Amino acid sequence: MVLFTGQRGTGDAAPDPSSGAPGTGGYRRLNRRCMISIYINYGIWYAILLAICTFLATFSQNLSDPYYEIARLALLGVPAAVLVYVVVAPPVFYTRYRYRITDDRVEVRRGVLVIRHTLVPIERVHQVEITRGPIKNLLGLADVAITTAGGVATINYLELEEAERVAELLNKLIGEMLRERLQAPASSVTGSADE
Amino acid sequence: MTGRDRETPARSSAAREQSTDDRAAADHPGTATRTGEMEIWGKRVRCHPGIIVEKTLPFASILFILIITLVGRPAAAAALAVVFIAVVFINYRIWSRTTIQFDDTGVVVERDTIFKRKKTIPYSKVASVNINRGITNRLLGTSSLLININSGSGATVPEAVLTFEQDLAESIRSAILHRLYTHSEDQDDGDEPVEMPALFSPLDVILHGLFNVSTYQTLFGLFFLVYSVFQFYVSAGTDGGSTGAVVSFLIFAAMLVAPIVSQIFYYYNYRVYRRGDTIYLQHGLIRSYRTSFDVSRINAVRVKSTLAARLMHRSCIEAEVVGLASGKGQSLRPVLCLLKDDATQQTLLRELVPEFVYDRKPKKQPEGAARVLLIEAGAASLALALVMIYPSIYLYRRAMTATGIAGLTMPYILPVITISLILAIFYAVYVSYRITDLDLGDNLFSFVNGAVDRETVTMNYDRVQMVVTAKGPIARLFDVARSNIYLLSSIGGSSITSGYFHESDLNAIGEIVMERIASGDYDYRKNSL
Repeated sequence: MVLFTGQRGTGDAAPDPSSGAPGTGGYRRLNRRCMISIYINYGIWYAILLAICTFLATFSQNLSDPYYEIARLALLGVPAAVLVYVVVAPPVFYTRYRYRITDDRVEVRRGVLVIRHTLVPIERVHQVEITRGPIKNLLGLADVAITTAGGVATINYLELEEAERVAELLNKLIGEMLRERLQAPASSVTGSADE
Repeated sequence: MTGRDRETPARSSAAREQSTDDRAAADHPGTATRTGEMEIWGKRVRCHPGIIVEKTLPFASILFILIITLVGRPAAAAALAVVFIAVVFINYRIWSRTTIQFDDTGVVVERDTIFKRKKTIPYSKVASVNINRGITNRLLGTSSLLININSGSGATVPEAVLTFEQDLAESIRSAILHRLYTHSEDQDDGDEPVEMPALFSPLDVILHGLFNVSTYQTLFGLFFLVYSVFQFYVSAGTDGGSTGAVVSFLIFAAMLVAPIVSQIFYYYNYRVYRRGDTIYLQHGLIRSYRTSFDVSRINAVRVKSTLAARLMHRSCIEAEVVGLASGKGQSLRPVLCLLKDDATQQTLLRELVPEFVYDRKPKKQPEGAARVLLIEAGAASLALALVMIYPSIYLYRRAMTATGIAGLTMPYILPVITISLILAIFYAVYVSYRITDLDLGDNLFSFVNGAVDRETVTMNYDRVQMVVTAKGPIARLFDVARSNIYLLSSIGGSSITSGYFHESDLNAIGEIVMERIASGDYDYRKNSL
């Protein structure tokens, strides 16, 4: 059963925790504001890349001719290719990003070049954390980090209120699971216990 | 929730009101350690003072080298000497203000220096207690007790490293193991005769050291050796020019000789056996290592063989175990069988970890995978060719003037190497496509990977924490994907990667995990942290 599937595509309407958008398999999309956050983030990294390229361009002038040609091509080509990615990637990221939380699992589908599908059973969740950097803070966005004993999955660029509701829901599900275990008789569990 | 107990910021009031006896025990650690484990139980003690030497020595050796290089500058050397004294003082202060208390429920390590902290490690969360003895330990008659908990991802260092006299460390380990595994203390006695499932001779250890180094590492190491010899040959009879040869030789030594020697020393006198559900492991020449862990702590078992080992029909077994960090990296994946003939390896696998043996019915990669691999190989070959064009032309022009064998071979050596590497890439892709498989059993699943160095990883569904299936742009064209499986606390959150398969086949892993949870086949008490 889909318990919570985030917000609707535009982000203008109030999130409806009971259902996803029709025909999406219960998956929900991010708020469009996520693109602003990604553009700002990419912009910062691109400025750092340009600074490095400028430094290298200055340095490479001392190289002999054939090396200089290669360096010059690389210093023009790499920022140009990265610029294309920086411009194109955020809308693609936004369009592809989907997530859903059911009573037994968290799923996230994401990716620009490589599309990833992450599945985390609720049973494996150890910790839920809301994180916000300065840019996301300005835009009222936050990430939800879901820690398991083998790695961390994240749901990125949620509105703060929604991030809190997602974290609350996950904590509630984990709490219910633990309460059920405490109430369950020992004999109901197969195998021997070591803890 | 994570199972890792958080440190408390300061010493508790209860701790401050400790008994006079406890204070006396802490003030006179030598007395406590000499009188044995029973005497220290429940009391606050300190580590053996040898820990000061242990912690200072690595720093001292660096300082010693620096001081030697500053012979002509006494002021700088004096400054370094002052730094050394400061380090000794800091380590002394940490030792003197750190107390350990083994009580009925857990170990409490408390430090009151500039930063106060109190770490409580409950026995119920302890995954393993291991003994490590390095040169300093041997000289001082001590042992380091490594206590690991069922920690979360990223756990690569033990939760506590405590140094005690050797006998005391052994008895404390035995007492904690008794609480963990509920077997009698004498069962852990290493001197008791034990029937070994397989014996490992010094030759086995040497062969393991020589041929368990990855093939790529061996090839790179040998390349630098050959280059070094070539440089020595070219520079023979000249006044200089051998610096490159020396550097190459040092790279060869660091890349190949050092790991081989290190492995031989590390696995010297290797012994492994199983009692009940506990696997015991011990080895080491200069630094001896003893560990034991419950089979239920094993997430995955890897049967591995390098190319050289396969040619000798030998393979080894590694396990991924929760909470077995030694801080040294090597024992994060304990070796359950050194490189042995395949028949012995299979026997050991069945005797040591029958829980990870099942009747495999593997599925080969689909045709789409071959196309993806070929495109990847083509891209890698193109990149290699582009990188090699300029050096090839440069070397050709330089070497054309050379005479003799060098003049005949050198101009063409880089193109020949490039073509050989490209052929090797395509051959590796062919082998990789042929051998990579996926098997989804009822309780276990496995991946076979590796064109050159091969490994079969058998995993337990119940240890899967997260499944990430990824499809790159080329893989999408051919409707295939790869999965990364994140297991329970396997080394620092690292994952195990599958080959290219249809997404539905890979998604089945996650679905089986979910079904096992829903159906009750999954026993959380065996698998939770």
